[in-house]
Amino acid sequence: MKRLLAVIKVKGIQFIITTSFTLVTVLVMLFVGVMLYGKFAQTAEQNAYLHTQQILEQVKYNLDSYLNGMTQIFELVDDKIRRSKGLTADKLSEQLETIVETRKDIVSIAVFTRDGTLLSTTPTKVLRRNTRLTEQSWFQKAIEDPTNLSFSLPHIQNLFKGEYTWVVSMSREILLHGPDGEIPAVLLVDVNFKEIDDLCQRVGLGKKGYVYIIDLVGNIVYHPQQQLIYAGLKNENRSLPLKHSYGSYVEETQDEARLITIKTIDQLGWKIIGVSYMDEIVTTKKEISGFIIWLLIIVIVIVLFVLHYLSAKISRPIKLLERSMEKVEQGDFSESEPIRGSHEVEQLSLRFQLMVAKVRELMHQIIREQEAKRKSELEVLQAQIHPHFLYNTLNSVVRMVGIGKNEDVITTITSLSKLFRISLSRGKNIITVQEELEHVLNYLIIQKMRYKQKFEYEIVAEDGVLDCLTLKLLLQPIVENAIYHGIEHLADPGRIRIFAALIDGKMLLQVSDNGLGMPPDVLERVKAGCYKSKEGSGVGIQNVQERIRLTFGEQYGLEIESEQEEGTVVRIWIPRQIAEERERL
Amino acid sequence: MRMAAVKRMSVYGLFMLVAVTLFYSCSAPLADVKVAKKKTVALIVRMKHGDYWRTVKLGAEMAAKEYERNLNFYAPDYEEDSRRQMELVQQAIADGSETIVMAPSDEQVLREAIKLTRERAIPLFVLDTVGKDSAVNSYIGTDNYDMGMKAFEKMVYLIEKKGQIALLGTDRVKANAKRREQGVLDLLPRETQVELIANEHVPLDKKQIGEWTRELIRKHPQLKGVIALDASTAIGVAEEMENSGLRDKVKIKIVAIDSPSEVLAYLQEGIISATIIQKPLSMGYLGVKYAVEASNGGAVPSLVDTGTKVIDRENMFWSENQKLLFPFVK
Repeated sequence: MKRLLAVIKVKGIQFIITTSFTLVTVLVMLFVGVMLYGKFAQTAEQNAYLHTQQILEQVKYNLDSYLNGMTQIFELVDDKIRRSKGLTADKLSEQLETIVETRKDIVSIAVFTRDGTLLSTTPTKVLRRNTRLTEQSWFQKAIEDPTNLSFSLPHIQNLFKGEYTWVVSMSREILLHGPDGEIPAVLLVDVNFKEIDDLCQRVGLGKKGYVYIIDLVGNIVYHPQQQLIYAGLKNENRSLPLKHSYGSYVEETQDEARLITIKTIDQLGWKIIGVSYMDEIVTTKKEISGFIIWLLIIVIVIVLFVLHYLSAKISRPIKLLERSMEKVEQGDFSESEPIRGSHEVEQLSLRFQLMVAKVRELMHQIIREQEAKRKSELEVLQAQIHPHFLYNTLNSVVRMVGIGKNEDVITTITSLSKLFRISLSRGKNIITVQEELEHVLNYLIIQKMRYKQKFEYEIVAEDGVLDCLTLKLLLQPIVENAIYHGIEHLADPGRIRIFAALIDGKMLLQVSDNGLGMPPDVLERVKAGCYKSKEGSGVGIQNVQERIRLTFGEQYGLEIESEQEEGTVVRIWIPRQIAEERERL
Repeated sequence: MRMAAVKRMSVYGLFMLVAVTLFYSCSAPLADVKVAKKKTVALIVRMKHGDYWRTVKLGAEMAAKEYERNLNFYAPDYEEDSRRQMELVQQAIADGSETIVMAPSDEQVLREAIKLTRERAIPLFVLDTVGKDSAVNSYIGTDNYDMGMKAFEKMVYLIEKKGQIALLGTDRVKANAKRREQGVLDLLPRETQVELIANEHVPLDKKQIGEWTRELIRKHPQLKGVIALDASTAIGVAEEMENSGLRDKVKIKIVAIDSPSEVLAYLQEGIISATIIQKPLSMGYLGVKYAVEASNGGAVPSLVDTGTKVIDRENMFWSENQKLLFPFVK
């Protein structure tokens, strides 16, 4: 777990950007999704309601206009009969035949007496037996309510021979002109039910929904499953439509919810009822929710990809910058490639590079300045001739003068003056090996005078060495140490040997003595540079070492070997440089 | 460095493209899938024409709409064409029907159909035929034995429990006609005053039926009733009665089976006294309904009696009977 977290880097820019943006996106999408779903679902439901309403309105309109047309035809027939002299008039039957021929949905026009005797029929047809027409509703209604046109429920017309047809019967009492004045009769116009049946059958509400029609008391005028209802296989709950004349109602039963929409044809009191199934509306809702969920998933996936890419693009240069900073932190000030990325990061990188360069330069400068300062300090120290040495030397000279050794006085003074000349050497730092050797020779001459021939010395220089260059005053402190620490307390006569040679392209200046030598612990401390003797110039070995290293680099310097009772060897290594190259240093 | 960035960009781009494509392919066909998914019920009947089979189809269509199935209708042109019907069974299977609802022409076709559907584990529902084969999910049809009994009872009522009667039937649809006959014969001993003077199978030919009727009346002037075991026989007898003018001279009662419009016309005229009708619409409706319920894993009864009804002049125009007798609005 920890390792996983470490890989992800919970606090990393990439992680923060990806998670926070994803979170925001998901929240926004969820919010939008829920809102959209709510809105869509509501609209879908409203549309379903509205749609059903509109369809029913259309059905109602069609039925209305159809029935109005039929009513007009009835009135026309009534009018024609009223105007003619009698039912048997040729003109009348001709007119009625024309009407029947032009309207195919009119099955028959018939006139009956009030006791049910057929008076006339168009088209001419033979009356069946056992019609029981006086018991039929259209006849009874015409008798009961002579002034109003009545529409019957659809029924089988069993009056005339030929095919049995489903008809809607229009009937009303009319007055006939008879020889004895006006006599009442019943006019019957049978309209084929097919037109209405087709009209209703064509209407579909969704996949399963349908339309049915009932009359005022709940008798079925039309129902697509009428036979099933009569066979007892289906049941249509007609309580809602009986209660209401208009509007939409949701009827819930155990296994389904249905939207019942009701319209009424005012003329007849017939109610058109649309039945649509709520689960179909819910299906639309499901489709919407499915769509929205898909949308959500896909948008989130896309956003994740984009965010991953974007955050990587942003954070990668920053990581690179961090890495290059780490390098600097570890002391690597070397120049590195500029980082590419966004403008800000590029600027940052550029500034950082500049800063590093500046720091690098400053550091070099400081090092250089420090080195120069140290060098000049050392030189100043080196250039100082120990006053004690001068005092001793001058003391010796006075003593020599006292005892009349003029020769020795001249030698000493001459050597002293040469010593100073080389020491100063016109302020130059670098001198030839020859000059250096001369300097140390003069020093040895003076010391030998002072120590009354207590030691012998020997200076050997190989060929070609004398023209080489060296730092000045390298040998003198070493020789001084050899005399003060090695030879001064020696019982036997001392011997100091100075040797200059070129070895492996390097210059070797070696000072060896046969003095007391050093114990190993002192040798270690001398090598480490922390041994301070009570005597001496105070600018001994350490001074020489530092000056060589500051001038020529770390690979040069001193080597000390010492054996107690045997003596000490000090080797000075410096680069081989010829006099002509002097100007460069 | 640049190259790598370009490469990565193109990979991301590709991902986006795939995602967008997926998205559209997922969302676009939502509407069409549902329609394609609708399963199909095959309805195979004995004959393409005739009100009886058209009514079966009408009932099946109502159920198909209610239960959201496609209905494929298969029927031979002639009722006796069992070979053609067998081909149609194979056709229905080839069309990928989920269930088959069929009214077999004869035993042979039924056996073959059972074999074929069992091999493919297609549920089979049989209409208008009674059997016991367990491979058939449901037998849905009329109890013909009961029909025979009802016909006899109605006849006994019409002749007021005494007199000579004749039983007449063609040899079509043997099994069903036989069971009707059995129903009549089994009840006969109960009515001691009713005498069965003839029980004959007549060929399907109006002229021959007419001759047979004349001969019968001539031989048995006391004949009071004729039970016709199928509609065409009843029509033949009724036609002879009307044309020969016997109608008013002899008061012979005719009890028929089924309700083609000719039978109904004679019924209104009073030549045929009563008819026992089946409910083909219920047959078609229940056939498809049970087929759907069975495919949804519901239990269905193995034998379904769709019921019969005695129709006479008195009740034939009652509104609940009108839809039974005249199923089509023409």
